[in-house]
Amino acid sequence: MAQPNEAQPLVQLAAATFRRRTLADREGVLGRLLLAPAFLYVILVVGVPFVLAILLSFSAARSGSLSFSWVGLSHFSTIIADPQFQLTLRNTLVFTIASQVLVMILATAAANVLDAAFFGKRAVRMLILLPWAVPVSLAAMSWAWIFDSTFSVINWTLRASGLFQGWLYWLGDTELAMIAIIIVHVWRTFPFATVVVLAGMAAIPLEIREAAVIDGASFWRRLFQVNLPLLLPVVTVAVLFGVVFTSTDLSVVYLLTRGGPYNSTHVLASLAFQRGILGGDLGQGAAIALFLLPALVVVAIVMLRLARRAEVGA
Amino acid sequence: MSDAPDSKWVRVDDHRWRRLSRREFLKLAAAGAAGAGLAASRFGSITTFVRAQPRALRIMTWAHFVPWAYHPWFDNFAREWARSKSVEVTIDRVSFADIVPRATAEVAAQQGHDVYFFISPPSQFEPQVLDLADINREAERRYGPILPLVKDSTYNPHTRKWFGFSDNWVPDPGDYLKSAWAGVGYAQGPRTWEDLLTAGRRIKERFPNIQIPIGVGYSQDIDSNMATRAILWSFGASVQDKDANVVLNSEEAVKAVEWGARLFREAMTPAVMSWNAASNNQALEAGATAYILNSISAYRSAQQRRLPIASDIFFVPALRGPARALAATHVMGVWVIWRFSRAPDLAKEFLLHLLDNARESTLGSEMYNFPSYMGAAAEKATPVAQKPAEGLMWVQGRVRSDRFGSLPPDKLKVLADSLKWSANIGWPGVANPAEGEIFDTSVTADMFGKAATGQLTPKQAVEEASRRAKEIYTKWRQAGLVGGGGRDR
Repeated sequence: MAQPNEAQPLVQLAAATFRRRTLADREGVLGRLLLAPAFLYVILVVGVPFVLAILLSFSAARSGSLSFSWVGLSHFSTIIADPQFQLTLRNTLVFTIASQVLVMILATAAANVLDAAFFGKRAVRMLILLPWAVPVSLAAMSWAWIFDSTFSVINWTLRASGLFQGWLYWLGDTELAMIAIIIVHVWRTFPFATVVVLAGMAAIPLEIREAAVIDGASFWRRLFQVNLPLLLPVVTVAVLFGVVFTSTDLSVVYLLTRGGPYNSTHVLASLAFQRGILGGDLGQGAAIALFLLPALVVVAIVMLRLARRAEVGA
Repeated sequence: MSDAPDSKWVRVDDHRWRRLSRREFLKLAAAGAAGAGLAASRFGSITTFVRAQPRALRIMTWAHFVPWAYHPWFDNFAREWARSKSVEVTIDRVSFADIVPRATAEVAAQQGHDVYFFISPPSQFEPQVLDLADINREAERRYGPILPLVKDSTYNPHTRKWFGFSDNWVPDPGDYLKSAWAGVGYAQGPRTWEDLLTAGRRIKERFPNIQIPIGVGYSQDIDSNMATRAILWSFGASVQDKDANVVLNSEEAVKAVEWGARLFREAMTPAVMSWNAASNNQALEAGATAYILNSISAYRSAQQRRLPIASDIFFVPALRGPARALAATHVMGVWVIWRFSRAPDLAKEFLLHLLDNARESTLGSEMYNFPSYMGAAAEKATPVAQKPAEGLMWVQGRVRSDRFGSLPPDKLKVLADSLKWSANIGWPGVANPAEGEIFDTSVTADMFGKAATGQLTPKQAVEEASRRAKEIYTKWRQAGLVGGGGRDR
């Protein structure tokens, strides 16, 4: 008779537990459920077009046709031999590397400034974040006026202030046009990098920074020998984002120069748009757009590994 | 196992039931199903399958360059037509730069608008559009022959298909600032390309405030593509011959590019390398350039905004070169009806109605649009054989005496003879997808730009452009949409 008495509380407990076990308790199911919208979104909006683009790059698809006749690697061999594509690939690398180097220098500097206490810090933070919040199309249109070859406000200001009496044809000269594109890329991605670096700095234990100060380390020594090594993982992530955003961006080049003058400032995305959509050669456009994908995947893997190693080391 | 027949109980009245045989059961079941179906078809959702769809027409057109006048006219016109036909009409507009990308998206999705407007021949979409031979024939029956340059932009002789229907086209004269040109001894503006060079140098010396004495674009925009074609044609060169052979690599083309490089060095600035379609208008209106190749929209825009410079803007016809005087049409308005259109007949009806109202359309655009079938601008009672001449006279009368506030009223008179100096993209051949791709990817503008800035010599620039043109032609020939090839140069 004792057995049922002893078992009863256990049964009641189990029953009560079973009764109270809701969706919130079933982590496996809940996790999948919460991930489902994002997963579906990525599959439909990124995955399907991505697979379609791969298929297109191996086909002779044209804008006026729905056929997918297989042409193998012919688009890739054509574009590799095309001097315009070679120039475009070089431009993409130049824009990406130059803008990311500048972004990291500026972001590190800005994060150090914002880390200090000063009057109006919140307002400055907000102002720095603004370029990130402005829609890129609007921003590029504003920059197009700022750099306009006939009405550039920079030129007028330089002239009015007596600093420069000549006239800079920002978007009409290849070198100046490339500088203009890099400036806009830096302006766009610098706020995000600043926030990331700032967050990384906040994560550095205070005692380490205090110890460096007590030991008499100068600002530069603290920056290069304490802060930057500890920031490496988070900086790597910022650089990775920047590289992907810049190297795949269409809007800045398209809205500022449309690849001009004489197709000299194209990046892969803008050339792909010109050949694929405007020119009607969807297959070649897709091949150009996808060309950098393997390299970007490798870059992403290498950088994430570097970041992880630095994190483990730290 | 029971021997009783397969049966069901059925109620005879309130208190009596009897068994029903299988035959009776099946009959009743069938009748019930039919009754339910009928009832549903009267009151239920099945009606959506059998009721006729409301007639609707979805129109995609462009953001016109004289929007303040043409948009209200077109919207009212379409709404009136829709009301008279009990049709629902939807009008969407895109910027000229988004016309082709949007069309590409509609074709890929196989849905969108019923009738779609392009500002240059959309020959690359030929496989996806209906053959409009019927309405083009009907238009010719009503109004006489289509203009040759329009036919060369809407009919592919290689496939023998009318891929488009055009109700309007737009001439591309030269727009100049009279005060500047009079100041250097050319009160009537330039007549030849050589005048442009000579006067351009003088304007540069005499009017330092005019940043870009001559504003002929060499950039990646439509105006530059038209301008560079006009120079090529006037010097005796062209991208293709009349049989669609690529003939760009010629001495004439090299001479044209050499001349273009001289014009750039002596009378232009690098600004023209960066221009978009609006830049030359803005430069002219700001007095930053003394000559541009454009339609009358820059002038109309200055008039509309009451800019004082409007009174200083005048027009000249296509400039004469060593071979001829010829300019590309500024706009070739081509409507297509997609294969996937849900209302192709309505679309055809609408297009013919639009053509029937060519006078109103031309006036609605403030003389920006010209009729593609000149006869459509004639008095309705005119015999068909006389309609083209009568329609042309009407158009000439309107531009010789502009009712939209021009001073002097004959300011637009050079447009009266614009048919003599206008040509389609693809001249001396017809428009085709290869010419379209060369136009849309700015091959000729790049050729001039590279030679002008010294990136390549004129000969190298022509050779490079010719190579690119041949690649593009080869691709479209393989697709069966372009002929020629036997005499590529």
